[in-house]
Amino acid sequence: MSRVPLLGELAVLDDVGAPRRGRAYPAEGATWALLAPAVLLLGALLAWPVLRTVQASVTSDGRWVGAEHYRAAFAADGTGAVVLRTVLWALLVPAVVTVLGYLLAVASRRSQEGWLVRLILVVPIALPLVVTGVTFRLFYDPDPERGLATLVLARLTGRAAEQAPQLLGPELVTVAVMSAFVWAWAGLAMLVFRAALDTVPADLADAVRAFGGSRRDVLWDAQWRPLLLRTVAVVFALVAVGTSRTFDLILVMTPGSVRDEAAVLALRIWQTSGATTTGEGAALGVIWLVAVTVGMLGAALFIRQAWPLPQPPAVPAPVAPPPRRLVRLFAAGAAVAWLLPLAALVFTSLQHPDRAAVEAWWSRHPTIESYAAVLDNPELWRSFRFTLMLATVVTVAVLIVALLAAYPLAWLTGPPALAIGLALLAMAVVPVQVIAGPIHEVLGMGFSSGTVQGLALVHIALGVPFAVLVLRNAFADLPADRIRAARLSGWHWWSMLRLLVQHNHRALLAVAVLEFVQVWNDLVVGLLFSAPAAPLGLFLQSQTREFVTSSGTLAAGSVLASILPVLMVLLASRQIVAGLVAGGVR
Amino acid sequence: MTALRRRTLLRAAAAGTTVAVAGCARDASSVQAAVVWNGDELARFRAVVANFPAPVRVIGVGNDIDSFLAARQSAGTSPDVAVLSRPGLVVEYAERGWLSSVTPTTSYAPPAGLADLLTVDGQRYGVWIKAAHKSLFWYFPSLLEEPPKTWDQLVSQTRRLAARHRADGGPAPLAVGAADGWVLTDWFENALLDVAGAGVYDALARGEADWQGQPVQYALDRLAELWSVDGAFPDGGRRALLTQFEESVIQVVHHRSAVMVFEADFVDAAAARFRRGDEQLSTFRFPGARHADKPLIVGGDVAVAFAGSAGGVELVHWLSKRTAFGPWLEAGGYLSPNLDVPVESHRDPLRRRLAEELRAADTVQFDLSDRLPGTFTGTDGVGIWRIMQDFFMEVTDGTAARYAVSRTTRALAAAARAARRRR
Repeated sequence: MSRVPLLGELAVLDDVGAPRRGRAYPAEGATWALLAPAVLLLGALLAWPVLRTVQASVTSDGRWVGAEHYRAAFAADGTGAVVLRTVLWALLVPAVVTVLGYLLAVASRRSQEGWLVRLILVVPIALPLVVTGVTFRLFYDPDPERGLATLVLARLTGRAAEQAPQLLGPELVTVAVMSAFVWAWAGLAMLVFRAALDTVPADLADAVRAFGGSRRDVLWDAQWRPLLLRTVAVVFALVAVGTSRTFDLILVMTPGSVRDEAAVLALRIWQTSGATTTGEGAALGVIWLVAVTVGMLGAALFIRQAWPLPQPPAVPAPVAPPPRRLVRLFAAGAAVAWLLPLAALVFTSLQHPDRAAVEAWWSRHPTIESYAAVLDNPELWRSFRFTLMLATVVTVAVLIVALLAAYPLAWLTGPPALAIGLALLAMAVVPVQVIAGPIHEVLGMGFSSGTVQGLALVHIALGVPFAVLVLRNAFADLPADRIRAARLSGWHWWSMLRLLVQHNHRALLAVAVLEFVQVWNDLVVGLLFSAPAAPLGLFLQSQTREFVTSSGTLAAGSVLASILPVLMVLLASRQIVAGLVAGGVR
Repeated sequence: MTALRRRTLLRAAAAGTTVAVAGCARDASSVQAAVVWNGDELARFRAVVANFPAPVRVIGVGNDIDSFLAARQSAGTSPDVAVLSRPGLVVEYAERGWLSSVTPTTSYAPPAGLADLLTVDGQRYGVWIKAAHKSLFWYFPSLLEEPPKTWDQLVSQTRRLAARHRADGGPAPLAVGAADGWVLTDWFENALLDVAGAGVYDALARGEADWQGQPVQYALDRLAELWSVDGAFPDGGRRALLTQFEESVIQVVHHRSAVMVFEADFVDAAAARFRRGDEQLSTFRFPGARHADKPLIVGGDVAVAFAGSAGGVELVHWLSKRTAFGPWLEAGGYLSPNLDVPVESHRDPLRRRLAEELRAADTVQFDLSDRLPGTFTGTDGVGIWRIMQDFFMEVTDGTAARYAVSRTTRALAAAARAARRRR
């Protein structure tokens, strides 16, 4: 799974835009020392493994075999379908999320109940994808006694409950997984659009109206051309890269008999090679790597062209009337639709563990016995403690490494800045399944794979590129006169760094929260780089093996595992958006 | 640089550094064991090794233990001991030189045919520590008066019950957790052992017989004959493909929407949890062509020690003792593969009877899919699991059996070839 930054691309993509920092302050002699930790980490745990994977895809036991592995991988049953499905994911799902996000942003923008709609939509962003998978597998259960969606579908199609279309059946399973993904990501798109819409100068719309422009003209000239085009591109690219996270969802949501009907490249690579490198797996991995990188860079360059002239910070002045009734109904409908799967999760967790396997979650009075059973499990507590410790350590380490590296990088301008931006961007989206084997080899040399240190190191390496990008952008935006003043009064670089940290606490907080949540919610890194204790994601996933009979305790465990990330993202959401978008609007 | 030489270099570097980093993986005083188990079974095993003289750190890895161990091996941090459920893996690992040969105690006596699965070039690389009896049908006597004694009786009873199910909505004859591919491979293996006999079964497992040959076709024909009965499964075959193993047990013991469910001795754990009423489940053996034919398939778990780990070899030796698994025998739900363990020491009556069947059978064959090489062995969406699920889908969906069988044998043969090529 690639480290797909949650809100990151906003800032990230901006930065490869127009070189807008005209102040070159060369870093002092300490530059390399500051960069060393990041370079070492990224070199050893990302760059070298990528090279090794490329090598493995064209060799067999050290012998050059050319394209043989590629041919074998494509000759294998169903590879074509898997590639097609991956492409479909990368095109269709972002389009749906983008459209939905825009509509929801508009619909929830100025109405009174808008905050409630936004709250409901933002919660899924923070959930671990494993939990999203559990939620939708409960919601789509093929038994109409348990799966609300199946029951509703049966009623709608007028068929007997047993003949109802099966959402997890071979025909619909991809649609089912996609819908879970849209559910999880639409809120993010909505937040981004909302932030973008708020920066549209209100007088622009007024001006269009004053010249007799229709509603459509307002949309086109006052919103689309100056701003939305770019936001759409950002959201689309963000979600497209995010679709590589479907791995977690597929693993949790699909029963074994339909897993192939839902498989994408990420899953196929894992099925072929596990946590090692095989020729065929490496070949598929290289294809995927190239596609992700090219797509990402293409998007970055496209967005760069679409980038409008920097605008003066707008004073948001809500002049438009509140949205029409139809629009508000749409928002309310979306809120209900988003709430239902959550209800399935929460009410299932409030069932007795044995009853949850045999009865509808809407039929019984709630008990807390599933929670009691889960909390009684020492494995869960071990997993909680371990994940908390891991996420904290990784977050602190990532912040330190990224702070040090971002400082010298923030002074670069022109082509070098662009090149480093693109390189970091590429590293931020490397799918970890592809390079798991070589990472194990590297870990085996120094630390040990299979230890806590090894797992933490991988998390840190995967988190650093994104953190460096965001912090570098934030640092580079510090007003030039403040820096000049500081330098004239003879500060050392560490005082400078302190000033930057103080000035950019929002960006720091954003990076810290996102990194923490990322590690807390992780499944794939834990799966590939197992440590003596199982992180939460892995703990939950291991319980999905017999899904129906463990649904009560699984739901309870999922709710418990989600509390912390949801709280963190909700409380810090304003700072996250502000911290990450800061570089973009200025 | 060849991969081998490079790996040796890595290993050398690893050796150099890990000593300095205080050798967290191979601590002389404690032994690390990676096991396939999770949940209850993991807790029971921990109770067992608590009696070992040295402290044992047990990691529950689950079904993906192969990729776990492969990754650890490439990093040079293998555990001391691993518990695997696939003898095929033991052979693969031994051939790659990952394992230490082991010597069991004198009180270790696995059923004939099982011990051979763990030897390579005359060296023994593992000991059996747990067995599963995989040839049982489970039913409530109140719903099925006379359990079938032959395959034909099973088919005719299924037809009769299915007709009643279609007519008045009575329980369907069979529940099957086809969403879990291993359930279907267990069906196939029992049918195969009965029609083909031990010789062909064994040859297929070793990769020496043709998957497109007649025995495999006959076995699949048999399954098609039963599975294609209209109304055989509650809510039909497509629903069965989304039903997991434990849910299929629920269909029998809780909803009573099916009369029989086929699977291993560990059905009783799920049955005890979800049973309604006082009635106890009964069992009958997977029926063969004649009264006397009762195929017996066993599954089981093997303990192996990794190369260079003295503590690991010692633990495996200790696990082969007759008395080692006392705590688990006491707790129930454990069937010992060691024929030296007295039958009476199994606590539950079911296991006592199964232990006797294990001793009485003239041929005991190990689960075929667990002996197959590489990805052919199957996991969710992969290998023989996937092939059998496709077959199930076709025959329950009305595809002509002849077509489904020939397509399936072709797929099996292709998968076997691909697995051999990759090795």
